[in-house]
Amino acid sequence: MNVPTDHLLALSAILFALGVLGFLVRKNVIIVLASIELMLNAANLSFLAASRHWSQTTLAGQGDPSAGPIFAIFVILVAAAEAAVGLALVIALYRLKQTVALDGMAELRG
Amino acid sequence: MAEALFYVLGAGAVLFAIGVVRARMPLFSVLSLLGTFFCLAGIYLLAGFPFLAATQLLVYAGAIMVLFLFVIMLLNLGDAAELERHAGLSLSGRRLVVAGSAAALLGLVGLAAADVDAVFAAGELPEERALDDLSTLARLLFSRYMLPFEAASLLLLATMVAVIVLAKRQREKNPFSSAPGARAQHSEEPVQGGVQR
Repeated sequence: MNVPTDHLLALSAILFALGVLGFLVRKNVIIVLASIELMLNAANLSFLAASRHWSQTTLAGQGDPSAGPIFAIFVILVAAAEAAVGLALVIALYRLKQTVALDGMAELRG
Repeated sequence: MAEALFYVLGAGAVLFAIGVVRARMPLFSVLSLLGTFFCLAGIYLLAGFPFLAATQLLVYAGAIMVLFLFVIMLLNLGDAAELERHAGLSLSGRRLVVAGSAAALLGLVGLAAADVDAVFAAGELPEERALDDLSTLARLLFSRYMLPFEAASLLLLATMVAVIVLAKRQREKNPFSSAPGARAQHSEEPVQGGVQR
């Protein structure tokens, strides 16, 4: 695949922007969590694009471009942990308030 | 071929991401997210990361998606009346759309895999094709990235404990209103009404 790195990064930026938009605009907790997953995926894509760029350009041979995939693995791991905790919180909050809308949640008075 | 496939998958990822943000119901949002994950897995394949593509499908599309869907169904968030109200198509039409897009996605990812195979076979690329070669990754994980790896295992353990504590059915009605220190006494026996402890 001879797609320039710019295009991969642009795709990553678009996905991240959409994730931020969903995170800020939506009120349903589950959609907010889905937006967070979207942002983490965008970050993963840019890690991999950078790793690919590293292995293809003049930098090839120095260091290890495998850092990209390793960070992507860690990001996936953290995303899994985050989703599990986030959804457990959703269940706890639903039990408390019978809703998943973020409007009425001000328990922490933040 | 691979380039065109990349742009198709990229456009699909963006469209599904718009679907995640715009969906009225969480169920559709999560299903759109699944589409984004599939498109991204195809892109990873094309970019030369087959292991990451497989991990994406197994962990994201498999585990995390199932978690989301479980919660949606446990909380009964997708009620049928709203489903009928918001959908323009008839039920069978919608089924056709869902099945068609699922088939198209699978086909695209399959095409990406076939394309990678063709590139392998033609020997177009130098010997180390996969940028996420498993043995390299494993060696790095157990040498240079040993500490993050161990931290990750701790994180998973902590997550497991936290999720069990959070999702466990509480004895008291409102877990946030209980006095500090009262929790330890509510162990297993049911709370008796009016008893001061």
